[in-house]
Amino acid sequence: MANLLIKGAQVAAESGPLQLADVWIEDGTIRGVGHGLPVPAGAKVVDASGKILMPAMFDAHVHMREPGGEHKETIKSGTEAAINGGITGVVLMPNTSPAIDSAAMVHSVLNIAARDSRIPVFTSGCITKGRAGQELAGIDGMRAAGVLMLTDDGDGVGDPAVLMRAMQYASEFGMFFASHCEIPSLSGPRALNEGVMSYRLGIMGTPACSEEICMDRDIRLAHATGAHVHIQHVSSALGMETIRWWKERGARVTAEVAPHHLLFHEEDIGEFDTHYKMNPPLRTREDNAQLLQGLIDGVFDLIATDHAPHSVFEKAQDFVTAPNGITGLETALVSLHHSFVRTGQFGWDLLVKRFSAEPRRMMRLEPAIIAQGAKADLIVFDPAAQTTFSADFMRSRSQNTPYLDKSLCGRVDLVVLGDNILLERA
Amino acid sequence: MPRKDLLDIVSLSREEVDHLLDQAGPFKELFTRSVKKVPALKGKCVLMLFYEPSTRTHSSFEVAAKRLSADVTNFTVEHSSVVKGESVRETIDTLQAMRTDFIIVRHKMAGLPGVIARHTRACVVNAGDGSHAHPTQALLDAFTLREVYPDLAGRRVLIVGDILHSRVARSTSQILKKLGVEVAYLGPGPLVPKVGPENIRRFTDYNEAMRWNPNALYLLRVQMERQEAQFFPSLREYHKVYGVTSERFRQIADQGIYIMHPGPVNRGVELCDEVMNYPRSLINQQVENGIAIRMAVLYGLKPHNGESD
Repeated sequence: MANLLIKGAQVAAESGPLQLADVWIEDGTIRGVGHGLPVPAGAKVVDASGKILMPAMFDAHVHMREPGGEHKETIKSGTEAAINGGITGVVLMPNTSPAIDSAAMVHSVLNIAARDSRIPVFTSGCITKGRAGQELAGIDGMRAAGVLMLTDDGDGVGDPAVLMRAMQYASEFGMFFASHCEIPSLSGPRALNEGVMSYRLGIMGTPACSEEICMDRDIRLAHATGAHVHIQHVSSALGMETIRWWKERGARVTAEVAPHHLLFHEEDIGEFDTHYKMNPPLRTREDNAQLLQGLIDGVFDLIATDHAPHSVFEKAQDFVTAPNGITGLETALVSLHHSFVRTGQFGWDLLVKRFSAEPRRMMRLEPAIIAQGAKADLIVFDPAAQTTFSADFMRSRSQNTPYLDKSLCGRVDLVVLGDNILLERA
Repeated sequence: MPRKDLLDIVSLSREEVDHLLDQAGPFKELFTRSVKKVPALKGKCVLMLFYEPSTRTHSSFEVAAKRLSADVTNFTVEHSSVVKGESVRETIDTLQAMRTDFIIVRHKMAGLPGVIARHTRACVVNAGDGSHAHPTQALLDAFTLREVYPDLAGRRVLIVGDILHSRVARSTSQILKKLGVEVAYLGPGPLVPKVGPENIRRFTDYNEAMRWNPNALYLLRVQMERQEAQFFPSLREYHKVYGVTSERFRQIADQGIYIMHPGPVNRGVELCDEVMNYPRSLINQQVENGIAIRMAVLYGLKPHNGESD
């Protein structure tokens, strides 16, 4: 890459207000941050006046479907989708087919990533073989291959004794656990919240307590064993309060919230719209508001998308049969800007902290920062422009998002990682 | 533009409901003649797509279609091989290629008739989808009740039983509300949704519900097969707490309260034997009216297939 001078940007960090500055990048490293930096000969100059320059996002919860679901997404298409959404690092979930439950599988997906991805890819590994909840997976082999996060995501571990033993065992290696919280016997066909919509549509709902009981159980197990547990995609206000309660008591618990649980609620399902079907399900407007407050209060350590691509055909089936999940990599940042930053409900600092710095810290990475001497890992975001999420715009193989063909305020204009401009929108 | 599909009650306007109920009257009059058939749908093809076993609703639709002179075909569905939605989509393409005019569908998946309706030019009638909707049952219930109460507004109907799983409870309460009837639910705690439409009363006690002075009791069928999940301790206990026992029946008969049931009844569970001979039991009338209503529905729908008549 030619050396790059980004001029007149509003620079965002994980704390403090925006700062007007020019940023000079040389050989992939930020060499200068200041006012009126000179334009060196041969440098590429980007005029970023009126735009936000911020550390690139990091998504600790994505499904890339490779191997086994390549018609939905591949590591190549998924990481390109991430770049399109201003994200330069992802953690894969292990519910592929076959599941990522051994060193061999970890090597396999990381080799694909090394070949196909322009951004760093990390993978989680299963707690139990085949995510079946019975025998422990090959934990030490996965650790040696680079796995830090263990999860049976898509399902919880049904038997608390299995999870407890896994926590006692793997914590010794410095690994941590990510919990998809659900008591299956309390859940309906995993399609929607128990509430007004489950009654209206005649589909047995999944009550929030199914998630809350399991969450409390998993945190208690972590607390008893000294493990670190990360609670995934919290959907209910009481679940959020459960985490708050445990944090106040010093449990080693972190938690994430997905944009869709802040932005949508059960009534958006309308007449069986499968673009609003995910697990855990969308709950109520009141839950949206309380989860947002939880994010602002810091109960949630991070924002993660739970990017879950599915083909058009799969999502066009009836509501119960259609698979769970929506895509999120490409829409997350723009939709959070559109609905919350633009309206003043939280600032850029929160986005940087919760969607860039904290997820990297959880994965024991250095947070990306805009400072002299730091590696260039940044994006330029134009809050005044619009993004239309058309099939043409999206790089994911799937378009199962409620934002399909909708236009929102904000646009990722530039993504720089080290020596490479990964994305430059004209 | 005339309606193409009948998928639920919610999407029907009050005018459409009234029109369908009015249309069913003349069709019912036909039943007393020696020749019960009219040529209204002569040359039209009605296809029965039943993914769930059904005798009564299936026969009722079949008789209705034949009395309108339509050709009726049963699309035999292997219940075991059809567990996934994919095969339904293949089936829809097949039916589309057959240029059938009407598809009568029953399926355990809520919302599936809507998926079929979106992908075919034929008229789709929902004959029951999971716990979601059963619009022709609701129409026949309303028609039956209107025969005994020409002015339905302000009448009271108590629906008793498994509200949670019942498409009949949903659709019938919706149509009754549209017609100005007051509706209340009574049933075992795990089977009455806590969150639902706000304009429906919920009773937990039979005697309290009876003090509300309902004009009709609508008894839902207890699904015996669901007893594995144990929503209440036993059928005997259900009968005692929520059923029309002999003792309660005397009180009901004294007050002249009508009894309705979507059939088939479980004697000794929802109701005692005596109810079956009760002059104010509307259960058989419901069956007869079902044919008239389904004739009105088939007659009223119009495919959007661009074919010339």
